[in-house]
Amino acid sequence: MPQTEPHARSTAKPNAADEPAPALILEGLTKVFQVGRSGRSVTAVNNVTLSIGRGEVLGLVGESGSGKSTIARLIAHLHEPTSGAMCLAGKPVPRQLRGRALTRFRKDVQMIFQDPFASLNPLHTIGYTLARPLEIHGFARKGNVQAQVSTLLDRVGLSPGASYAAKRPHELSGGQRQRVVIARALAARPELILADEPTSALDVSIRLDIMNLLLDLRDQEGLSMLFITHDLAGARYMSDRIAVMYAGYLVEIGPAERVIGQPQMPYTQLLKRAAPKPEGNLNAGGLEAPGEIPDLANLPPGCPFEPRCPHARAVCRAGLPRMYDVGAGHQARCILHDPELAAQPLLHPALQPHATL
Amino acid sequence: MKGLLTILRRSPRAAFGVGLLAALLLLALLAPLLTPYSPTSQAFGTWLKPGGEHLLGTTALGQDIWSQLVYGARLTLLIGFTAGLVATAIGTALGLSAAYFGGRTDEAINVLINVFLVLPGLPLLIIASAFLRGGGVWSIILVIALTGWAWGARVLRSQALALRNRDFVQAAIVSGERPARIIFAEMLPNLAGLIAAGFFSTALYAVLSEAALAFLGMGDVSQVTWGTMMYWAQARGALLQGAWWWVAAPGLCIALLGTAFALVNFGIDEVTNPRVIHEARATRVLRRNRAAPQAEPALEPPQPLLAIRHLSAGYVTPQGPVRAVRDVTLSVAPGEFLGLAGESGCGKSTLAFAATRLLDAPGVVFDGEARLAGQDLLALNPAELRRVRWKDYSLVFQASMNILNPVLRIREQVYDAMQAHGVQDRGRLEARARELFALVGIREDYLNAYPHQLSGGMKQRVVIAIALALEPKLVVMDEPTTALDVVVQRQILQEIDAVRKRLGISIVFITHDLSLLVEMSDRIAIMYAGEVVEEAPAHELYAQPKHPYTRRLMGAFPPLEGPRERREGIPGRPPSLAQDIPYCPFFERCPNHLPGTCDVFKPARVEVTSGHSVACFLHSPAVKEEAYAAD
Ligand SMILES: Nc1ncnc2c1ncn2[C@@H]1O[C@H](COP(=O)(O)OP(=O)(O)OP(=O)(O)O)[C@@H](O)[C@H]1O
Ligand SMILES: Nc1ncnc2c1ncn2[C@@H]1O[C@H](COP(=O)(O)OP(=O)(O)O)[C@@H](O)[C@H]1O
Ligand code: SF4
Ligand code: SF4
Ligand SMILES: [Mg+2]
Ligand SMILES: [Mg+2]
Repeated sequence: MPQTEPHARSTAKPNAADEPAPALILEGLTKVFQVGRSGRSVTAVNNVTLSIGRGEVLGLVGESGSGKSTIARLIAHLHEPTSGAMCLAGKPVPRQLRGRALTRFRKDVQMIFQDPFASLNPLHTIGYTLARPLEIHGFARKGNVQAQVSTLLDRVGLSPGASYAAKRPHELSGGQRQRVVIARALAARPELILADEPTSALDVSIRLDIMNLLLDLRDQEGLSMLFITHDLAGARYMSDRIAVMYAGYLVEIGPAERVIGQPQMPYTQLLKRAAPKPEGNLNAGGLEAPGEIPDLANLPPGCPFEPRCPHARAVCRAGLPRMYDVGAGHQARCILHDPELAAQPLLHPALQPHATL
Repeated sequence: MKGLLTILRRSPRAAFGVGLLAALLLLALLAPLLTPYSPTSQAFGTWLKPGGEHLLGTTALGQDIWSQLVYGARLTLLIGFTAGLVATAIGTALGLSAAYFGGRTDEAINVLINVFLVLPGLPLLIIASAFLRGGGVWSIILVIALTGWAWGARVLRSQALALRNRDFVQAAIVSGERPARIIFAEMLPNLAGLIAAGFFSTALYAVLSEAALAFLGMGDVSQVTWGTMMYWAQARGALLQGAWWWVAAPGLCIALLGTAFALVNFGIDEVTNPRVIHEARATRVLRRNRAAPQAEPALEPPQPLLAIRHLSAGYVTPQGPVRAVRDVTLSVAPGEFLGLAGESGCGKSTLAFAATRLLDAPGVVFDGEARLAGQDLLALNPAELRRVRWKDYSLVFQASMNILNPVLRIREQVYDAMQAHGVQDRGRLEARARELFALVGIREDYLNAYPHQLSGGMKQRVVIAIALALEPKLVVMDEPTTALDVVVQRQILQEIDAVRKRLGISIVFITHDLSLLVEMSDRIAIMYAGEVVEEAPAHELYAQPKHPYTRRLMGAFPPLEGPRERREGIPGRPPSLAQDIPYCPFFERCPNHLPGTCDVFKPARVEVTSGHSVACFLHSPAVKEEAYAAD
């Protein structure tokens, strides 16, 4: 539902029985990739359950390779899930979609890619790129395609739109390209936007512009959004709620302010410490959990973060910790929230714990 | 068409090949003008020597050899081009379908390709043509095309597979495009270079196969081609009769045609295959030749490693020049870490590329100089530049992980830069490659991997390792970590910093992440609309930013703490760089601007406190003379 007040943020609190169904529900979504001929399998997304409310922005953070993009691609039907279910606006979406049904689904779910340098075909003009979704989804009547294209460009802040339509991607700066990419996603008038790191290739001032643009669009058109990023400050700025991924697992989820303000899972804490801080000096602190990015084909048996975790206990190796409720709408996958298990001795005393929970 | 021109301009070898090919084509087309005789007429004396009426003498049957040569060119080229076209069409269709549809389709096509690849070519040709005997030229073309398509199909399939995973193809799929459109409108045009290369290779294969078949008497020997000429010369014992030219002329023509195809192919490869070290680039420098640079009054010590003086650079577009770098003066001391920040489009990359002569056309340097350890990079010719680049300085590009060639192993790409600078010994190459990988924190076994098997962070480390391969004194890094997550970014930066301290190299680090820069740099320069508007030691810039733009830039990132509220970026846009800007470029967006001053005069950059210079009338009334307003 459109917000009238520009700064208002919708809350994800289900407050009434007639609340419309969430824009998106994922139930136990899993994706196993077969790598190479050997058939080695890699679980990029492991049993992820979450939902995005109508008009809500869900931030998804985690290091590269943690499965964030794969989730977006699964939702967008660029990959087929290995298992799990998905509902869009209350209606179940079949795992396999073809032909008409797929085109209709594509109209409702649009994606914004990370790298504006790579997500526009270098050989097409901006006008062509934007006209295609209009034509595909039947918004284009003869003659008014041009006009719609320039309206779209104006809406994303590229004005006068007509002058941009004739350009090719290489003539635009990164920020301008990303606006074009956003315009392409808006062209189909979708309900859900999957924004896969839409700002990480952009500079700071543009980043803020693009985030504001997305927030405005959310407010004006009631778009729901999955906002993927590795920039915690950006996630906090954009999102109503934030989900944290590690090695394919959802490890923490909750209201944006709480997840960033008081992270309840050691990995989220590491992310927060690694964020650039102008006051700090690069070499003064160092990182307490440098470690390798986990090898998804060879995950530890228990908590995926255990080899790097300064707080790990023996029980962390025994099995995957469950999600613990750690506050209102806030859950974290860490045994430290079980007082009994947390009393066990440390597994890696060498990884000096820096911050305690 | 434009692609062809680029190739010709960038690759002299390709230009030579195309010239050769054109000459041979002309020979075929103008045959009737070049000789008065029919190639099959036997009206002349036999075994005549070259000279006089018969430029190349006559055959044992009394045919004019020169006539046979020029008319033979027609059929030979027809077979070459047609068989090349048919084979390329088959290969392209199958390769693209395999890549697009994947799964079963891909497997089936892949099996087919491999079967055709292992079948021995010549025996297959001989058997097939035996069946098609008497079918004339077309059956030969068909046979050659059917035996020659698989190689191109394989290359195309692997490239198309990589292309299919590129974001713009995925984006087209998400927007709802149908397969046909994705294949023909999105993927095919981007494979044009490869397809052209495949065409020339199979055309060459076709010409050679035809010659071989004809020579063995398997083709239609009543037709005149260069192959059948050689067959008859052999059959009639031309060499025994001392008539070596009967054999040599068609032989030489085939060799020339082969050379032409190979050269064109080489050129296409050179231009379309990205190589990390950019051998072929050398930005055009338009600056007026001044009197030989005065022996500069000994620069104030410490002498800078890189000294950029009054550099203006940009792009020549059909709408007129875009001045993306405007009279920039900047220096980097040995061992220093200089940060360069500014919003998108303000000319950071252009500055980095122009100063290192890597700016691609239509980019040009308009004026100024860039001295690396005293040597003016802008005065070097391409050969000298090649010698200096990568050895004295190197670069890591924005999104440079995409620069790794997807079909080559990492090892070859790491070797590449070193080999280009004369390190050939395998043992040394390998040892150095391992050393470099240890330096940037990647396991050595990844040397064997292909780029797609590495994550973005690892690819970026590979590119940084390559940049360090020859121990350059200066490394320019254009947003090397922007696409990486914070943890990996921090690890890489810590490694870069350690390497810098260990080897004493200087780094110019371009990013828009000011908070990151403040943490890393010794000194920071802020760019706006092509100019450096403020320069100061990092901590001082953070503590006391002076230029209003710097201050806004500092406020433009959302905080990790504190209230969560809407922040504005910097309202407004920078001025167009296509125009002259004879006033403060920031005045339209500046909250402090002084009417009647800032929009009329241009502030000069002045050192206001030691090491801290800024171009703003709030801090100094000095007015800058426009250096280039006159042209
Ligand atoms: N090939 C080109 N033809 C015409 N103009 C160009 C071309 N490439 C870049 N420009 C223009 O030159 C200016 C500077 O571009 P440049 O790539 O140097 O910016 P940048 O500071 O590196 O930005 P970013 O942070 O987005 O990488 C921009 O206004 C851009 O539009
Ligand atoms: N098509 C694919 N085939 C095999 N493995 C893949 C594929 N796509 C992603 N992966 C693997 O899945 C993991 C998660 O990737 P991704 O979702 O792209 O991570 P993120 O977006 O969080 O950086 C990575 O280890 C990656 O290598
Ligand atoms: S479950 Fe154990 S290993 Fe995992 S994050 Fe918590 S303390 Fe660390
Ligand atoms: S010179 Fe004037 S307009 Fe420019 S930054 Fe300074 S105060 Fe603002
Ligand atoms: Mg990703
Ligand atoms: Mg740039």
